[in-house]
Amino acid sequence: MNIRNRKLIPSFERPPSRVLIRKASNYQQELADLIHESLRQFNLPVQGKTVLLKPNLVGLDPLGVMNTHPAVIAATRASFFRLGALRVLVGDGPAMDRDTHAILESVRLREFTGKLGRDFCDLNLDDVEKVVLETRASKLKELFLPKTVLGVDFLVSMPKLKTHHWAGVTLSLKNMFGIVPGSCYGWPKNVLHWAGIDRSILDINAAARPDFAIVDGILGMEGNGPIQGTPKAAGLLLFGDDPVAVDATACRVMGLLPEKIPYLARAGTMLGHLNPTKIQQLGESIASVRTAFAVLPEFRQLVG
Amino acid sequence: MSTAIGANTFLAALRDHQNGDGGWGWHKETRSRVEPTCWAISALGAERNSSDDSIALTKARRYLIAEQENRGFWTATPEMKSGSWVTSLACAVLANTEDADSAVVAGMAWLCNDYPLDSNPALRFIHRILSKDVSSKHNDSFRGWGWTPRTSSWVEPTAFALLALQESRAERLPSAASQRRELAVGLLYDRMCPGGGWNCGNPRVYGVAGEALILPTAWALIALQAFPEHEKKSLSLAWLEAEMPQIESPGSLAVASMCLEAYGRRLPATRLNLRDCSPEGLLEDGIHVLAWVSLALNPNRAWPVGGVR
Repeated sequence: MNIRNRKLIPSFERPPSRVLIRKASNYQQELADLIHESLRQFNLPVQGKTVLLKPNLVGLDPLGVMNTHPAVIAATRASFFRLGALRVLVGDGPAMDRDTHAILESVRLREFTGKLGRDFCDLNLDDVEKVVLETRASKLKELFLPKTVLGVDFLVSMPKLKTHHWAGVTLSLKNMFGIVPGSCYGWPKNVLHWAGIDRSILDINAAARPDFAIVDGILGMEGNGPIQGTPKAAGLLLFGDDPVAVDATACRVMGLLPEKIPYLARAGTMLGHLNPTKIQQLGESIASVRTAFAVLPEFRQLVG
Repeated sequence: MSTAIGANTFLAALRDHQNGDGGWGWHKETRSRVEPTCWAISALGAERNSSDDSIALTKARRYLIAEQENRGFWTATPEMKSGSWVTSLACAVLANTEDADSAVVAGMAWLCNDYPLDSNPALRFIHRILSKDVSSKHNDSFRGWGWTPRTSSWVEPTAFALLALQESRAERLPSAASQRRELAVGLLYDRMCPGGGWNCGNPRVYGVAGEALILPTAWALIALQAFPEHEKKSLSLAWLEAEMPQIESPGSLAVASMCLEAYGRRLPATRLNLRDCSPEGLLEDGIHVLAWVSLALNPNRAWPVGGVR
């Protein structure tokens, strides 16, 4: 079943979600085995399927502090192939800079993944299809979304662990802003800001729901993220079959209260589990990896 | 005058990828869209020697005119129903087409009547009274253009609208045009990053200076070329010249090169040579990049800025 045919399941009908926390101290270590072994624990239905990895490629990043690190992208791609995926695409639609090529060069993606050719999709320039927004969380009635996203069998949101100066945090749900095509909505995708960032996040994730989330928290960003914040090493990767649960867990690791983040609080009622009693914690405990992330004064109420 | 060998190779690739309806999609075998079609027209239109190009251009211009909506605007994609910044591009590339008079008049009328919502006087007043937002400090009395109607002003759509205003003959412009031009120039200078250059239009967020980007800077400078000297233009040109050697993407390098040439600057040595790029490689980035590189290598180009002959 591809993305466009998914139905929303109310929280009370959803089975518990699973989130795995793994320590990973740096990008130089052997990530492929770590990620493959982590993904195997979820028994993902990707055999013979087309998978789309949606990293967070937000801007020129020669120091590797704002984008999902290419080492994580490459290791995840290799892992999905090892799990039997037929095709593993990588795609994003950067929001602030339309020169996607420049962003890819700045992070040296090709050095990690090899030449991707048509397995990289600039989602800003993809053919689009109208999607009626049934959730109507924002005032948007419809969005035109990339056919590549809507047509894949398995969608993986791969954000970086970061605070965000307008949304509080940017994790696997906020990362999905990148599927909204710039060629339709511009750079930045300002129509989403006017519709309300928090509410747009809900609509987008309801329209194209990620099946899985992998958060690059080896090196995150605190303060004035997602671009101008301060690098913050957390030394971990998070995996989960429910993006809401993954984001809630990531917040708790960052010392933030997910219930106080408006879009996550609402996502917990319609898209996944926020309540820790509904999240099966695997791997490291939150307490053992907790790393307090600084936030802007406007978000001090988020600090737990 | 003959064009460079590189440009001819790229132009041939552009011709090869024209769709049957006369337009171009972003990539091979994708549906025609207004923006890539406009860039392809610009590139092919710069080289008028070939009869093949005349046929291709005629078909392409017909496609553009057919895609215009009744209210005068063009949409970013055929599936959409609302106006878009691509209206500026379409008007600019049709501006010198004799049988496109009414299309350009309607397009420019829509454009000059499309005001971003953030600069609406009533909204600005309410915002000033109620808002505790300290994230940015724009002067919202300036009004440019947004990517989509009734949103905010941004650098690139404002630059393209200015280029469309400059390209269109005066008799095709509505009465609001001169005021819009003045406000838009003011907006561009207001949104310049403190160290010169532009990003999408956020020069400062939470007190931190925004970092300029190549494409918005080059387009803003190209749009401002026709206006009097200004210290902010000089600062931004200096920023672009300093950044040029590090550019690693053909699209940015092509537009930056056209910009510096338009200001009579010598192109610095760069890591990347546009003549080393392959059409296939450029196509992976999109038809627009193929067209920009063709234009940058073509001394005969007339738009978006004249080439160095």
